[in-house]
Amino acid sequence: MKHLLLILEPVIWLLFGAGLALGTMLLTGFVLVVGLAIPMGIVPPEALNYERAYGLASSFIGRVILLALIALPLWKGAHHVRSLALDFGGAERDGAVGSLLYLAAAGVSVLGIIAVVGL
Amino acid sequence: MAGTAHPEAMAPPQKGPTRTAPPQMPGTWWGAPRIRTYLLFGATGIVYFIAGTVFLHLVWQLGKGPEAWETALSSLSHPAYIAFNALTLVSVIFVGVRAFGGMMPKMQPRTGPIPVLPAGTVKALIYGVWSLMTLVICLILAGVLF
Repeated sequence: MKHLLLILEPVIWLLFGAGLALGTMLLTGFVLVVGLAIPMGIVPPEALNYERAYGLASSFIGRVILLALIALPLWKGAHHVRSLALDFGGAERDGAVGSLLYLAAAGVSVLGIIAVVGL
Repeated sequence: MAGTAHPEAMAPPQKGPTRTAPPQMPGTWWGAPRIRTYLLFGATGIVYFIAGTVFLHLVWQLGKGPEAWETALSSLSHPAYIAFNALTLVSVIFVGVRAFGGMMPKMQPRTGPIPVLPAGTVKALIYGVWSLMTLVICLILAGVLF
């Protein structure tokens, strides 16, 4: 398993790097408005009523951004949690821990693709 | 008076594999600010992972129809969600400041046709893109644009 992770390392690092940079840039605005401003009443919820939200999300650019917003933070998260596990748990279990985390990120990313394509 | 020693004078006759101790986290990590910051940077991964799944849930509900979407959007008003989203915002800003302000300006390619820019310029460029993207996303989601 460790050998497979080494082979996949360029892909994993690409997704991790994209998650760190693009994920951070995208998440800031979405968390500010969807996660905080609308729930706290600063922005009226009508701004994202179903028709408008669906219209924005189902456009081509909307789908790409939503997929990036779902998948990239997952890969950034998986790689950083693996790094934490390596720091505290040592290298012996790294193969199993890393595989589990990347499988989870890949699984949820696939669900993200299904959700975005299905809009 | 003896001359300077040959640099390979004490070298073994044959080169062997380099022996390195496996890296270990020092037991006093909590008292070391640099390690603490490094670990907090890693711990933001947990927040990012959960944030990705929360957005998947929202998109999934949007695909289900108006009722599911309205329910999902109103569920974000729960204090637990607000607390998590506040934590996500803090994590995102922490990651952005550390990565865009500290790491990326130092990661420019030193070879190739692109000139190496001063770190301050790169930092300002990345912060500018980040601020602009955040502003545009906020204006779109708040209904001001489009």
